[in-house]
Amino acid sequence: MAVTTRLTWIQEKKLQTEFEGKKLILLYKATVHQFSYENMLKKCQDQGPTVTVIYSGNHILGAYLQELYREKRKTSNFLFIFQGTKMPKYKIAVHDINKLFYWSSEMNINLDKKVMTVDSQIAKVLGLSQNSISFQECEVFRCEDILNERTLQGVTEYREDLLSFVKTYKFIKPYSDLVNQIRILLVGPIGAGKSSFVNSVKSVFRGHVTHQVLVGSNTHGTSEMYRTYSIKDGKNGNTLPFILCDSVGLGEEEEGLCIDDVVPILKGHVPDRYQLHSKQPITPSHANYIHNPLLKDRIHCVAFVLDATSVEYLCHEVVTKIKRIRREVIKCGVVYVALLTNVDRLDLITKDDFMDIYRCMPVKLKLEAVHKKLGFALRDILAVSNYTSEWELDVVKDYLILSVLKQMLWAANDFLEDLPL
Amino acid sequence: MELTSSLPWKMEKQLQQLFGNVSLSLLYKSSIHRNGFKQMFDKCCNQGSTITMFYNSKFILGAFLFRSYPEEFNGISEPNSSLFFLFERGKTAEMTSKYLITALQITDGNLTFYCSKDKILSVESLKNNCSLHQILLDGLRSYTYSFRFSECEVFRVEGTKNKGDYISKITQAIKYKSNLLAELRDYKTYDNMVSEIRILLLGPVGSGKSSFFNSVKSVFQGHVTRQAAVGSDITSITEQYRVYSIRDGKDGKSLPFLLCDSMGLDDKEGAGLCVDDIPHVLKGNISDRYQFTSHKPITSNHPAFIASPSLKDKIHCVAYVLDTNSVDTLSSKMVSIFKQIRREALSCGIALVVLLTNLNNYSDVLQGDFLNMSELMISQNQRIVNKVHELLSIPIFNIFMVENYASELELDPLKDILILSALRQMLRAADDALEDLPLEEID
Ligand SMILES: Nc1nc2c(ncn2[C@@H]2O[C@H](COP(=O)(O)OP(=O)(O)OP(=O)(O)O)[C@@H](O)[C@H]2O)c(=O)[nH]1
Ligand SMILES: Nc1nc2c(ncn2[C@@H]2O[C@H](COP(=O)(O)OP(=O)(O)OP(=O)(O)O)[C@@H](O)[C@H]2O)c(=O)[nH]1
Ligand SMILES: [Mg+2]
Ligand SMILES: [Mg+2]
Repeated sequence: MAVTTRLTWIQEKKLQTEFEGKKLILLYKATVHQFSYENMLKKCQDQGPTVTVIYSGNHILGAYLQELYREKRKTSNFLFIFQGTKMPKYKIAVHDINKLFYWSSEMNINLDKKVMTVDSQIAKVLGLSQNSISFQECEVFRCEDILNERTLQGVTEYREDLLSFVKTYKFIKPYSDLVNQIRILLVGPIGAGKSSFVNSVKSVFRGHVTHQVLVGSNTHGTSEMYRTYSIKDGKNGNTLPFILCDSVGLGEEEEGLCIDDVVPILKGHVPDRYQLHSKQPITPSHANYIHNPLLKDRIHCVAFVLDATSVEYLCHEVVTKIKRIRREVIKCGVVYVALLTNVDRLDLITKDDFMDIYRCMPVKLKLEAVHKKLGFALRDILAVSNYTSEWELDVVKDYLILSVLKQMLWAANDFLEDLPL
Repeated sequence: MELTSSLPWKMEKQLQQLFGNVSLSLLYKSSIHRNGFKQMFDKCCNQGSTITMFYNSKFILGAFLFRSYPEEFNGISEPNSSLFFLFERGKTAEMTSKYLITALQITDGNLTFYCSKDKILSVESLKNNCSLHQILLDGLRSYTYSFRFSECEVFRVEGTKNKGDYISKITQAIKYKSNLLAELRDYKTYDNMVSEIRILLLGPVGSGKSSFFNSVKSVFQGHVTRQAAVGSDITSITEQYRVYSIRDGKDGKSLPFLLCDSMGLDDKEGAGLCVDDIPHVLKGNISDRYQFTSHKPITSNHPAFIASPSLKDKIHCVAYVLDTNSVDTLSSKMVSIFKQIRREALSCGIALVVLLTNLNNYSDVLQGDFLNMSELMISQNQRIVNKVHELLSIPIFNIFMVENYASELELDPLKDILILSALRQMLRAADDALEDLPLEEID
């Protein structure tokens, strides 16, 4: 039998977040390692902080013991019980796993008899009718910091690798001579995080969080102009191999970006700072209309920016607009990805999920939702968490932002490779 | 204090990927748990698959055991799959490994891995010393017969594929993949009749035609690519005829085949690929980037119409692409279109194969030798394969199965070998068809 927990991922997440953001590592499982005090102790002694969970017919409850190995400090230990989506906690005096399983009268887990007894005070708090509960399974976990020095060191190394990948990226010949910087167009619903993504990318290369581009929560849209941002490495450093093109958000009915402006943008006719009108597309008679755009002026990669917390609620009109734009993008031969922002605001997400973002459950569910609603292939949906209110950079966020950029550079390279000779 | 591992995170990621998306849970750490190997045994017995790691300042040696630690202290475990690997610090990307069948014995003073009678790796607890057998030295390309380790850790490995030989197969798969790549790079058509084989991908809307092209390109480039637009919509995402050439990521040269992607076939009248365009596509009348019109076939005065195509312009192999999950609901219209294509193809001397995408159980083909992979794949998907065979009258040896790069950003050697094998079989089928061409058709 495999040593895997009976907790659902939601319960596990709940425990993780309740106890100081810890990761749980299963050490002992009674049905595998036998209902034996000795066996339990062999596996769980000297393992630092632990969480013990017992499963009885109606209840899942347990104890968190902040055992401090070879350290003498006062510890805080808790009893907890799952009640629907809630998980109330109660401070307990027992502080060592040995006592929890052997002789504490406050609460005691008898593995041989498969019975847990608690004093009447605790029984009352837990809402139990008797002082003892029989159980069918008992699991003990070791707790580990989610972001410990080791993982941070690892992410930092990855970040460095990605930085140098992005800084030195070379497009395929012969286009590398014609295009020094690829243009990435950000399109998407109002408030999806397009401008925030520009700020995020700028921040990574600037070394601290910048707020050059105005972002906001205006329901009628914050950005009003088409803006192109060439990004520099550091304050006065080299230009990087990409330009981010921020567009006006897509709204319902006639609000926001005018669909007919998309093709001129893709083909490079629309100048920086062009004031977009939602009802009137650009015409060649406009003063700054770019009449003969070169390959370097065109859009090379499109990112459909979507807010992860609200994709399910996108209205039909916006969905239709996105699909129409995608058709145009495909017709123009431009390569695209979808960019899911706001993953930090998903329920039950924790920082460690960022390091394996496409495998964590809350994000996986969102990817499915986007796939269903808009028909993007799963692997074309990239996830990111933008810088918003923080001042300083965070390696884990950087890591996500840079990973996304790497995919975009590859996508642009695919576009160049696809050009007719 | 908390227990934390000394395993560099990057290596952990690399191992996780190698073992197929597993997770590692630290159970034992020598500097904390001490007490000879008794504690190690207590913590690690009965935990399923494990990795035991030895660290020193220059390198990290690891031993993956598919089976659990021995049941009893001083006892010896049943021989089973194990993989030894060595990372040199500072060169994380490079890992050497050696697959062996070993048995493990733990006593208070010693930890010994046996391969038949040989002590492959023996570890002394008192001296913190590891000694490696010649077999292991050669396999790991190491020069150090013995070394002192500063730390030893044991992890439980969760989520291993339930077949014990997965790890041996995956290491074989990596080798097999590089053989396949080499074979495809150097492929020459029968009698050098054409320099590039044209493979046409035809099939219902959303069956994975464009994804197959992207998948093949991804394998050769070494990372996920997106040149062909993919996605789902009520009508076909692909509306242009595209002839894709793929460059090898290694030397940048074009590979000896072209993948031709077409608009999806639709059950609805007046939607999808116009069936009357198909004969023109097969004969090579339609040039790259032709914009299909659903209700109207190409005419000979269209600028994209090639009036007198030569042998190199025509299609040499048609792959009918179907989603494995849709075989049961394939409409009679699709079947009849297919039969029409078959007649057409046969009359022009074009090879005809079926490519099934969306193969969920693709990792099961690892069971056998890769040489008879097709048999395994067929036996595991017997019902579907038979159904396709009966519906479309395609011989079973010309039905291939793949899982495209549709949901993952990372390459997987197992997917790769399926994709490359399907491609190779298409080329072989095209070769047979070329060899069979009547002389007057060869110009
Ligand atoms: N927590 C969090 N907030 C975000 C993220 N991305 C954007 N936001 C917030 O969402 C709001 C809208 O972001 P903007 O960047 O202005 O969105 P936009 O797509 O440019 O919107 P328009 O210009 O109006 O089309 C701002 O308040 C941002 O701070 C994210 O990844 N995480
Ligand atoms: N899981 C899985 N999904 C696949 C596979 N092949 C394709 N898909 C998905 O199916 C959808 C359609 O794939 P496409 O490659 O666009 O299909 P197509 O045959 O080119 O479709 P049209 O051009 O619209 O006719 C996409 O969302 C793909 O990600 C596969 O082998 N496995
Ligand atoms: Mg904006
Ligand atoms: Mg397609």
